[in-house]
Amino acid sequence: MGRQILHRLLISLPALLGVLFLCFCLMQVVPADPAAIIAGPDAKAETIAAIRLELGLDRPIIVQFAEYIWRVAHFDLGRSIISNKMVIEEIASTMGPTLELMIAGLMMAIPTGMALGTIAAVKRGTWIDRAIMAVAVAGVSMPIFFIGLILIQYVGYKWALLPFLGRAGPVWDGGLPNLILPAFTLGSVLIGPIARLTRTAVLEVLGADYVRTARAKGLRERIVIVHHALRNALIPVVTLIGLQAAFLLGGAVVTETMFSWPGVGRLAVGAIISSDFPTAQGAIMILAMAFLMINLLVDVLYVYLDPRVARQ
Amino acid sequence: MNMQAPLALDAATEASVAPDQIALPGRASIARRLMRDKAAALAAVFLSAVALAAIFAPFVAPYDPYYTDLSKAMQAPSAAHWFGTDTAGRDVLSRVIYGARNTLTIGLIGVIVGGLLGGFLGILAAYFKKLDGWIMRIVDIMLAFPAILLGLAVAAIAGAGLTAVIIAVVVATIPDVARVARGAAIGVMGQEFMEAGRAVGVSDTVLIWRYLTLNCISTIFVFLTLRFGQIILIGSALSFLGLGAQPPTAELGMMASQGRDFLFISEHIAIIPSLVIFLIVLAANILGDAFRDVLDPRLQQ
Repeated sequence: MGRQILHRLLISLPALLGVLFLCFCLMQVVPADPAAIIAGPDAKAETIAAIRLELGLDRPIIVQFAEYIWRVAHFDLGRSIISNKMVIEEIASTMGPTLELMIAGLMMAIPTGMALGTIAAVKRGTWIDRAIMAVAVAGVSMPIFFIGLILIQYVGYKWALLPFLGRAGPVWDGGLPNLILPAFTLGSVLIGPIARLTRTAVLEVLGADYVRTARAKGLRERIVIVHHALRNALIPVVTLIGLQAAFLLGGAVVTETMFSWPGVGRLAVGAIISSDFPTAQGAIMILAMAFLMINLLVDVLYVYLDPRVARQ
Repeated sequence: MNMQAPLALDAATEASVAPDQIALPGRASIARRLMRDKAAALAAVFLSAVALAAIFAPFVAPYDPYYTDLSKAMQAPSAAHWFGTDTAGRDVLSRVIYGARNTLTIGLIGVIVGGLLGGFLGILAAYFKKLDGWIMRIVDIMLAFPAILLGLAVAAIAGAGLTAVIIAVVVATIPDVARVARGAAIGVMGQEFMEAGRAVGVSDTVLIWRYLTLNCISTIFVFLTLRFGQIILIGSALSFLGLGAQPPTAELGMMASQGRDFLFISEHIAIIPSLVIFLIVLAANILGDAFRDVLDPRLQQ
């Protein structure tokens, strides 16, 4: 299992380099000259040239890229043009809330999706099955901001049940009410796919020999389904979450923006709109790395859940 | 992990229905089988209606989508303005029709350009073993950038706008299509007619186009129809974030975003464009599922 994980780590190295290179390019193709931006609008040509030299902008691209990696490895992502704070500090303060939102979203989506999928599988062919599957298709087709808008308008504003603006601190310190609506919005994108896949997986498992054996032993149907069927259905669901990590991340960007949630996604969008290139670049890089990490984590989890994978 | 069991069952029951249905489905028969699925038929009718309205927007839209009249701002839906008016007094129905035009264009360009490039890469990778490793490595790196991040990156470089969204959805579509196309093409490569073609001296170009591509096309097509809705969702999310179409251009995601600021005063401005996006994507997904069942039952997820 250790070797498997190591192998997986090695495979993700080129992707990591690719992400770094693209983020590096991001800086290169930005229309404005970074030296001119730093020097300000009234700077003389020689000032700009001096800054250019100081930033190393006159050296070959490959050297600049190597230096860029060096700086990233030392957590030096430059300074924000707008706030003049170190970009890494800005990102560090937003990572917690984003992680919190994603975990809360998953904690909402996985049990709900799996429960719906299992019920649909057990009640296969009935109106309950059809209703659940219709909801799942609708959920997959829903723009995430539509769900957010409706929750904000009704649950948040009209019925005033839950707060919908900003974060009120950590969950254990009175932050829970503020987390519920964003987490529900983010989780809603995943319920549909999880429900669909769980249904397929459970249906398949229900026909397996060991389920028949379990039933033949006289185990209660509940135990057969929860312990035998659902546990094995978990494997494809974990894979799916890896595949859906892109939605989770994209959803987090939209959700954070809608609910003024102080996360990395909101930071990135704000930075792009205000042309704060260093911050935008740093935030995009962190998000891309987070995406790689999620996929890595899913693969490791996969090995744990299905030991057969490790032996291959 | 074998998730095809239930589908294989469906295929078996279908095959035993009538002998004339075992024959390869012609175009007419595909349409007929699609129409038998009521939800798919409804989705097809809805999508065609939206597409027609979008194409003929200048003739269909009751008002000029850019004509502002502040005295009529934020009116609720009425007989004169079916979908009400927005914050600048513009007719929301007319803007939705023009907005659907932009939104559908983003989806179509994403599917067509991304599908062509991705399909080309995937088929090349399957046909030329030497290229396979390289192409798939590039594809893996591209997959490390989810669509929304690509959108953010492109918008950071090129500035927010429709172009940024289109580039993002095209680039995001390429790696997925490349993978599906490669998978399908590798299956075809193992078929005897490929070997036979090569044995009688058919050139690479002809083998790739006539033998390989034509046999992968239905799989790629089904994947792209399923992908269309997702592209629209991504595009409208980017516009919603303010990185896509810029005001006053009518685009559904951007309209929802503008309406968001006045949600508590008059909710229809944000809700109606969002609802239209939802219905378009829902119809596209239902139709995509139906296409899959008819054309390529093996392609699932």
